[in-house]
Amino acid sequence: MIKWAYGVNQWKAGFTSFARLEEIERAFKVTAACGFDAVELNAGSGRWDPIGRPENIAINYGSAAHFRLKLKDLGIHHVSSTFFDPTLMSFEELHFGLMSTQPADHARIVAQARIHAQMLAELGGTLLVVRPFPSFWKEGALNAERLAAAADCWNQVAAMAAPLGLKVALHVDALSALRSVDEFEQLLQLCDREQVGLAIDTAELTIAGHDVVALYRRFHDRVLHFHFKDALAVDTLDEYKLPNAERALIAAGGEREIARWFGEMGTGLVDFPALLAAMREHGYAGWIVVESDKGPEPIATGMMLNSWYRQNVLDLPAR
Amino acid sequence: MTASAPAPKLRWAYMDHWRIDTPQGQLSQYTSVKRFDVFLKQVSSLGFEAIETFDFHLGPLRELFGSLENARAFMQERGIDRVLSLFHAVMYDERQSAPHVRSTHDHIFNYAQHIMRSSVGLGVENFIVMPAGLYYDVEPVTDDKLRACAELWNRVGKMTLEYGVKTCCHHEFFCGIRSAEQLRKFYEWTDPRYVFFYCDTAQHVIAGVDPVDLYLKLQDRCGGFHMKDTKHVDLTGDYRRKPDAEVMAPTTPRWFHEMGTPGGLVDFPALMQAMKECGYEGWVGVEHDKADVEGGNYPETTALSAWYIQHVLKKIYA
Repeated sequence: MIKWAYGVNQWKAGFTSFARLEEIERAFKVTAACGFDAVELNAGSGRWDPIGRPENIAINYGSAAHFRLKLKDLGIHHVSSTFFDPTLMSFEELHFGLMSTQPADHARIVAQARIHAQMLAELGGTLLVVRPFPSFWKEGALNAERLAAAADCWNQVAAMAAPLGLKVALHVDALSALRSVDEFEQLLQLCDREQVGLAIDTAELTIAGHDVVALYRRFHDRVLHFHFKDALAVDTLDEYKLPNAERALIAAGGEREIARWFGEMGTGLVDFPALLAAMREHGYAGWIVVESDKGPEPIATGMMLNSWYRQNVLDLPAR
Repeated sequence: MTASAPAPKLRWAYMDHWRIDTPQGQLSQYTSVKRFDVFLKQVSSLGFEAIETFDFHLGPLRELFGSLENARAFMQERGIDRVLSLFHAVMYDERQSAPHVRSTHDHIFNYAQHIMRSSVGLGVENFIVMPAGLYYDVEPVTDDKLRACAELWNRVGKMTLEYGVKTCCHHEFFCGIRSAEQLRKFYEWTDPRYVFFYCDTAQHVIAGVDPVDLYLKLQDRCGGFHMKDTKHVDLTGDYRRKPDAEVMAPTTPRWFHEMGTPGGLVDFPALMQAMKECGYEGWVGVEHDKADVEGGNYPETTALSAWYIQHVLKKIYA
């Protein structure tokens, strides 16, 4: 059975936003009002992110169990997953980004992932969604050695997470060092079939030039998770190779000055009805996390439009 | 055979004051079909089934869609059944349009009739009016002035019913008819067949009137609601301030908030209980005016109200 959730990542734009508990309460109320009773959390860093780390949840809510009750009170009955990106700096773990392709970083990645996995398990979640590779501009093209190193890293994380009842979903994004379908194939062959699978992010992969319906059909038996958001453009100039592509391409829009890469479902290039039909055909039984990340203010607008599309297009009987 | 759930007794409508941030600055959603589309989808996504708007939007709707029938069909495709109510935007002026001045009644009546003629096609059920001018224009509020207002709206209400539309009086806190005693006299002197009461929860609280008590007194004549909250009772006479007590009062930058706001003074659960006990059935409007004051925004405010309806109010009465 398909289960719907909504990402929380769009609410935290900087230190001052999404830092007060009343803001978090409002965000969950908006999410619930839009018909989503489950959320994907975001592994954060810093005391100004009250739900990004277990110690912050303990300070602000007493415990994960109490936080879960608070969520229920607000109409959020499930935490589907947590998104964890080891390449981001961490004030707590004291690093400026760890690389899955570097075996020397693995122990620290596993240790950091464990912190979020334990909290997720306490919250009743089932999937640790991870960014499996650094950006291409930092890493360059993958070779067999680095690809194998990354696979080993995520197998270690999966072995850590399995006793907690969690699986690991690899979320390849538009800037990832992993680019081709063949590389997806190699990666999945190297990863534990039972514990590690793919998270398909419809927008990120479309921007990277993939046909997400074809990609899902090819790897459907390894797909554990989805992020649904629309893509408004494709990186046709291979600008993922630009230095600081997070800023140069995604934030600034690249040479074409793309104002917005991500859109609400139904406004861009992703064929969601076709993808959902393929998912139903293959009996997908898991979470779909809808996202509004990098959407314009007000955030509620993106959520409400995605809610409308879900109710009026995707929830209709299969075509 | 499975038993079907009973039909809900209440349907929710949204009184529209939205403005949108655009590359051209803040604009109304009536400026393009695309913006109107996005607005309707947002309101619909939360379970609202109708909108209420101002009569000055009739022109833009006709221009955007060619006809009001086309506009309604466009709305229905997005889950919004009708324009439930038109708020009659009269700039009250003693020289030509002031309900307490009898010599201006023909002008007000003719304008209201023009709106009725030109709004056919949207499914309008309510014609909402502020039944007296601004308090500082009306004071001292005498019985004769109240009687003059009653005479006007009796006449207008009888006319609008010929179009299938109820004339509903909506008492802003700065309106010439605002206190419990003024309200009592006005409804005593208006004809219950022609003049209906629209319960704006926040406006009554600001004016020091309990909206639940008022609803119970006028429930037989209640044509609908504007549900919104406030954190303030006007204790300093802001209702008499010129030129605009609602948006320019120095004591209170923001008078209105969404239902469920912390510190809100309206007792919505009690009102829902009262509606249930009185057997109220039909539309309930949610209103957010000036939601963008002090950094707020209309979509979030609307979603928070929808949350309050779904998680609090529907458990009392639905």
